Amino acid sequence: MADKEQLVASETTPKIALVGNPNVGKSVIFGLLTGRYVTVSNYPGTTVEVARGATTIEGQPVVIIDTPGVNSLVPMSEDEQVTRDILLKEGPTAIIQVADAKNIRRALLISLQLAEMGKPFLLDLNMEDESAACGITIDKTELATKLGVPVIGTIAIQKRGIKEVQKKALSVAPATFRFSYSAEVETAIQNIKTLLPKSPISRRSIALMILSGDKSLKGWMHEKLSDQTIDQLEQIRDSLSRLYSEPVAYVINKQRLRVVDELMSFCVRQERREKEGWQSWVGRLSMHPVWGLFVLAGVLIVVYEFVGKFGAQTAVNFLEKGLFGHYLNPWAVTLFSKIFSFSPFLRDLFVGEFGIVTMALTYALAIIFPIVITFFIAFSFMEDSGYLPRLSIMLNRLFRLIGLNGKAVVPMVLGLGCDTMATMTARIMDTRKERVILTLLLALGVPCSAQLGIVLGMLGALPIWATFLWFGVVGGSLILVGFLSAQILPGDRSDFMMEIPPIRRPTLINIVTKTFARLEWYLKEVVPLFIIGTLFLFLLDKSSLLPKIQNFASPLVEGFLDLPKEATEAFLVGFLRRDYGATRFFDLFGKGRLTPIQAIVSLIVMTLFVPCLANVLMIIKERGMRTMIAIVGFIYPFAFFVGGIINWGLRIL
Amino acid sequence: MKEQSRRVNHPCGQIVARPHEMDELLERVWTQREKGKEDQTSLLAATPVEEGERWLKGLLAEKLIHLEGGSPEGEKVLFTPEGEKEAREIIRRHRLTERLFADVLKTSEEVWEREACELEHQTVLTEEAVSAVCSFLGHPPTCPHGRPIPRGRCCSEFKKDLTPFVIPLSEAQVTESYKIVFMTPENHRRLDRLAVLGILPGSTIRIHQKRPSYVIRCGETDVALDLEIVKDIYVRKG
Ligand SMILES: Nc1nc2c(ncn2[C@@H]2O[C@H](COP(=O)(O)OP(=O)(O)OP(=O)(O)O)[C@@H](O)[C@H]2O)c(=O)[nH]1
Ligand SMILES: [Mg+2]
Ligand SMILES: [Zn+2]
Ligand SMILES: [Zn+2]
Ligand SMILES: [Zn+2]
Repeated sequence: MADKEQLVASETTPKIALVGNPNVGKSVIFGLLTGRYVTVSNYPGTTVEVARGATTIEGQPVVIIDTPGVNSLVPMSEDEQVTRDILLKEGPTAIIQVADAKNIRRALLISLQLAEMGKPFLLDLNMEDESAACGITIDKTELATKLGVPVIGTIAIQKRGIKEVQKKALSVAPATFRFSYSAEVETAIQNIKTLLPKSPISRRSIALMILSGDKSLKGWMHEKLSDQTIDQLEQIRDSLSRLYSEPVAYVINKQRLRVVDELMSFCVRQERREKEGWQSWVGRLSMHPVWGLFVLAGVLIVVYEFVGKFGAQTAVNFLEKGLFGHYLNPWAVTLFSKIFSFSPFLRDLFVGEFGIVTMALTYALAIIFPIVITFFIAFSFMEDSGYLPRLSIMLNRLFRLIGLNGKAVVPMVLGLGCDTMATMTARIMDTRKERVILTLLLALGVPCSAQLGIVLGMLGALPIWATFLWFGVVGGSLILVGFLSAQILPGDRSDFMMEIPPIRRPTLINIVTKTFARLEWYLKEVVPLFIIGTLFLFLLDKSSLLPKIQNFASPLVEGFLDLPKEATEAFLVGFLRRDYGATRFFDLFGKGRLTPIQAIVSLIVMTLFVPCLANVLMIIKERGMRTMIAIVGFIYPFAFFVGGIINWGLRIL
Repeated sequence: MKEQSRRVNHPCGQIVARPHEMDELLERVWTQREKGKEDQTSLLAATPVEEGERWLKGLLAEKLIHLEGGSPEGEKVLFTPEGEKEAREIIRRHRLTERLFADVLKTSEEVWEREACELEHQTVLTEEAVSAVCSFLGHPPTCPHGRPIPRGRCCSEFKKDLTPFVIPLSEAQVTESYKIVFMTPENHRRLDRLAVLGILPGSTIRIHQKRPSYVIRCGETDVALDLEIVKDIYVRKG
C-alpha cells in the first residue's frame, strides 16, 4: 500500500509522464507498462502521489511516471499541483495523455494546454468499450491530423492498444495545433512572455497560468524572478482582469472550450446509444434518497457477515484455536524449550507469555491476518464498483455538520483500510481547515481494518447492546469532535462538487492484485511492529518494570476505568499500534479475564486511541509538527475520559 | 415646482412623466396597504418624500387616490382604479429590479435597493422591457425581501409562453435537458472548477436527482453538487 518512491534509473534516462483527467485509467496503464502495481480504484482521486516505474521501449530504458488525475493544468488543489509541478520542474521527455474517450470534451481541454506547453505528447483515448456503448465515435485520424500528435484508442482493462502506445511513446513531437485567444488576452500573453526565463514548458503556457491567477506558481516565481518582475506581471494581469466582468481564468477556459467544441465538430459523432445496462440502474438506486439507505444497509450487512462473522469468527477460530492453539504453538513450545533448555530467558523470548511466537506471531497471523484479508477483499469490491462516491452523496449532509463535505467520505472510508494512507488522501480536500479536521477524525475514531475486525469479533461475543453502545460512542465522538472543531478552527468549508464515476463490474484480477499488495504492506509494516511491541513488553516483564508501571497506571487503569492490571500492557502496546492493543484485549477477553463491561470500556478507549506510530509520522509529514502535537495531545486524554464516563455510566445502571 | 404629470416625448411615443416624488408616494400607499395601514398620518410618517402633504394633494388632483371618512387615526388614503393600476406597475418594476440586481448581478443590498428606486419610474423602463426582465427571471413571485411582485401580462401568459426563458438550475425538472445560459457563482474557484468539468454557458445538462444532493449530467460526466452551486447556474430548456 505504501507507495515508497523508488527512483528507478539515472538522471539522463528519458522520462514519460502519464497525465490526464481523474479516473481515466492512468494507473492501469502504468501497471501494464511497468509491471509495477499501484492502486487502481473506480473513483477520482485514487492516486495522490507520483509513482515511478521502469520499462524499455525499443531497447531504450525509460522511466514511466504515474500522476494524480487533473481536470486542468492550472492546479486547484494540492494533489493537482503535484502533476503540474512534474511538467514544470522535471521536464519529462514525452507525455502520454490518457483520456476517457466518452468524455473527450474534457480531455481535449487538457490536450490544448499540453499543446500550448509545447511538450511532445500522444493522446491515448482509453475506455473505448464504454464510449462505444454510449454511441460515441471518434475519427482518430482526423483528430490526429488536426492536433498534430498521434491519437491511439485503447481499452486498458483488456490490454488492448497498449502495445501501440508503448511503441509510439518515445517518438512523439510537440503538437502542431495552434489557436489564439481574444486580442486582449493575446496582448497580455505577449507582454508577460518577454519577462519570463526559459523553462521546460513554453513561456506562453506559463503566461496563461499567471493570467489565470495560479497561486501555486508563487514558489516557482519567487525562485526564478525578481520581485520587480513579479510586480510587473501582476500589473499586466490586473489590467487585463479590469477589462472583464468575469474572472480571467474563466474567460480563458471559455475560449478554450470554444476551440474544443470546434475541434469536436470535425471528429466526434454521437449516434444512438445502447440501452442503459444494469449498472446505471444500480448506480441510480444507490444514491436515491430512500433506496440508497437500503443499499447502504445491505452493503453493511454483507460486509459484517463476511468480515465480522466469517473472517473474525470462523476463520480466526480455525487459525487461533485450531492451527496455532493445537498444533503450531505446542510444537513451538516443545521445540524452543529443547533448543533453549539452558536458558529460560531465551525460551520465554520466543514462547513465553510475551513470546515472539506465542504472542506477536499468533496475534499477527492467527487473529489479525484472516480479518484483514476478508476486509481487504470486501473493501476492494466497494472501491472498484464505484459505490464509494455514491455513498458520499448519501452522507454529504452529515459531513456538513462536522465541517466537511461529502468529498471527505472516500478518505474516511479508506481510513477503515489504513488510517495512514487515508491521512495522505486528505489532500483531495480543498481547504486546510478540512484537511485538519479530516486528519483529526481519522486519528480519533476511524478504526483500521485489523482493529475493526477485532472489535467486530469481540462485539459478536458480547450482548447486542454492546454493539450499539460502541457504534454510538465512537460515532458520537466523531460527530461531536468534528462539530466542535468546525466551530473552533479558522478557515472555510468548501463546496461539495464531486465527479461520480459509472458503476463498473470489478475485475477479479484487480481485486486479487490489490488484496495481495495490501497484504504485502501488512506483513512488511505491521508484523515487525508487533514483534517490536512484544519485545518491549517482554523486556519490561523480565526487568520487572512492568509491575511498577502497572502500579503507576493503576489509578487510571484500575481505578478510573475499572480494568484489570493486564490492561496496562494493552495500552502500552496500543501506543505503538492500536490494533495491537485491541488484540491484547481480544486475547484477555477470550481467556475470560474481562467482564462484559470491562470489555466494552476497553474497546471504546482503544478505538479512540491514535492509530499507530506510522500515522503520527504521516500527520507530521502532511500537516506539520504543531498540528500533530495538538491532535495527539487531545486524543489520549479524550479517549480515557470517554472510557471513564462510559464505565461510570454502565456501573450506575 | 411641477406638482403635476405631463406628457413627454419618449423614443417609443408619448408617455406620462410623473414627478418621482409622486411615484414614491404611490409606492408608499401600496406598501402601507400591504401592512394593513391605510391612514394618512402613518403614510406621511413612513414616506421619505419631503412636503408629503403637498404631493398627496397632487395625487388627489390627478384622481389617483381619494380620501375616505375620518377614523381616529386620520383619514384613509385609498387608490382610485387608475391609481391602483399605476402603483401596481411601479411596485412591479421596483421589485423585479431588486430581483435582477440581487440574484443575477449579485450586487450588494445597498446597490440593488438604490437601483430599484431609480428604475421603477416609467420613463426609465418601458412595459416591454419589464416583461422581458420578468420572463428572463422566470416570472418570480416575490422580491428578495419576500414581498409579492404584482403579476404582469407576461406572467399570465406564462403557461402558453413558448419562448424560452431562464431559470436557476435548482428549479429545473429532473431528466429534462437544459442549456446553460449564464452562471453567477460568488467565488471564482467554483467557476473554475465547473468550467473544467465542461459546465459552462452553452453546455447541455440534465438533472438526475435533487436529493440527497444534486446530481447533474454534462456530456458523459455525472457530478454531485450542493444546492448553493446549482442555484447559481441559469438554464433554459433546449
Ligand atoms: N471499462 C473500462 N474500464 C477501465 C478502463 N481502463 C480503466 N478502467 C477502470 O477505470 C477505473 C479507474 O482506473 P485508474 O487506473 O485507477 O484511473 P486513474 O486515471 O489512475 O485515476 P486517478 O488516479 O484517480 O486519477 C478502474 O476501475 C479501472 O478498472 C477501460 O479501458 N475500460
Ligand atoms: Mg491513478
Ligand atoms: Zn422606490
Ligand atoms: Zn423588495
Ligand atoms: Zn412575468
